[in-house]
Amino acid sequence: MELFGGSTGWFAGFYDEYLGFVSFIIRRWDQVIEYTFNHFSLVLTVMFFSLVLWISVGLLISRYEKLANTAFGIGNILFVIPSISLFGIFITIPMLGLGRTSAALALILYAMMPMVRNVYRGIKSVEWPIIEAGRGMGMSPLQILFQIQIPMAWPVIFAGIRVTVVMITGIATVATYIGERNLGRFIHHGIARESADMIIAGAVLVSIIAVLLDFILGKIEFKITSPGLRREQDQN
Amino acid sequence: MIKLDKVDKVFPGTTVPAVDQVSFQVDEGNICVFVGPSGCGKTTILRMINRLVEPTGGDIYIKGQKVSDKGVNPDYLRREIGYVIQQIGLMPHRTIEQNVALVPRLLKWPEDKIKPRVKHLLEMVGLEPDEVAQKYPHQLSGGMMQRVGVARALAADPPIMLMDEPFGAVDPIVRGRLQDEFLRLQKEMKKTICFVTHDINEAIKMGDHIVIMNKGRLVQHGTPMEILSNPADEFVKDLIGSDREIKLLELTRSEEIVEHTDEIPEVVNKKDCFIQAIDPVQRALETMMKKDSDLVGVRDGESFIGTISWEDIKKHINRISGDQA
Repeated sequence: MELFGGSTGWFAGFYDEYLGFVSFIIRRWDQVIEYTFNHFSLVLTVMFFSLVLWISVGLLISRYEKLANTAFGIGNILFVIPSISLFGIFITIPMLGLGRTSAALALILYAMMPMVRNVYRGIKSVEWPIIEAGRGMGMSPLQILFQIQIPMAWPVIFAGIRVTVVMITGIATVATYIGERNLGRFIHHGIARESADMIIAGAVLVSIIAVLLDFILGKIEFKITSPGLRREQDQN
Repeated sequence: MIKLDKVDKVFPGTTVPAVDQVSFQVDEGNICVFVGPSGCGKTTILRMINRLVEPTGGDIYIKGQKVSDKGVNPDYLRREIGYVIQQIGLMPHRTIEQNVALVPRLLKWPEDKIKPRVKHLLEMVGLEPDEVAQKYPHQLSGGMMQRVGVARALAADPPIMLMDEPFGAVDPIVRGRLQDEFLRLQKEMKKTICFVTHDINEAIKMGDHIVIMNKGRLVQHGTPMEILSNPADEFVKDLIGSDREIKLLELTRSEEIVEHTDEIPEVVNKKDCFIQAIDPVQRALETMMKKDSDLVGVRDGESFIGTISWEDIKKHINRISGDQA
């Protein structure tokens, strides 16, 4: 009860107690902008290469089944390597060293598991009669892939992309240890200086980026997924 | 039109052939029905005709052209052959209009030709184009989807249709109606049709010609009448079932057994007991029971041509079923 009843009024008390990170953000505005920008651009770079690379791999292993288990194995192994050591491994490679290339490469590898798996699962989720009908009508394998399998797999592929974006946005904070000047730095320094405001400021900004990207992707997903696949919404 | 010559299929990893030395011919404009228990190879035969499955032996000819010739691209071949499957397989992410227009688009028809064609097809299969064209498959009932499946197969007006239990996924009442409508369509279209079913009644109803399969082998083939009146072995007898005689009556037109006379018997007139010459004999039997009469009058249109008696029907059954019971 003291919390809301102090002489300075309950809001001031509440503000001091819980919203100190807001004044931190306002105080360090220039840095916030710089870190946020770096964070964003790293995530977008990683996502760009991940989409090109892992969607291709996903499509490839859905065609060549024998490769699927190998690809999943590699993806899983990469995924369970603790992020900090994966970044660490990359900076020991002479050509890469500290900085953005190492950070991006490590994050791209992290993205492999959720993305490849979802592309594969989405393509495989297309029921047999639909493929059979497509073949029976005289569609070529490529036409079946691009006109049936990929459009029908969009919801599952998108689920994978959205999980990946949120995950990458989070793990990107760790890249601060190998020289990335992004929002992870607030968290990193906050821990070193035992400053809760700093940690919370970093965490909240990261969350906002993740939620924002997820929201945008959700909008895109809705746009490009055929209404014919949105059964649940229709029945309500 | 379609000819199979000693066609074999052994699937990889198996030793027992799924299709074993099957030869027969389907004439132009006929419906040929393949019937048999599941796993008898009837679907495999169908899928070999449009090369969804490649035979391991023998040859298949369409209009004298070997389908396995090097010059035949399987995708192009299939665009010329209508294909309907039990699971229908409509593309859920496409509208009904886009589904029906699938093959014309593959064949690169001009768009201004496709739209009216789709409209015409939907009307032909008994759907309201304005109502369904922009809907998605999941918004339709099972019966409507099957109709769309048939419309899609007919889209590019292929001379040949392959139908694998095309009315299998709907309830018996809707199935009966779809069968009737399809037979009516076929009278105008005169397509050459291969039709797969496990239901002998559907086979008898739909088929100009029936091919009975068991364990990959062709057991018997012939017209429904030939098969019913002269089943080749116990397997065929079992398949036909115990109501063979009744089925025969469904297949015989009343005019075939009518006793011609000019005079309308008193009793027939009194009880108003008449059928048409093209009605199946079964109808004569029904009418007798309904009107409590041993005699029915047969008319061809308006004019009276003769009578059928209870004795005539019994004699007919004994004659064609070959039983001296």
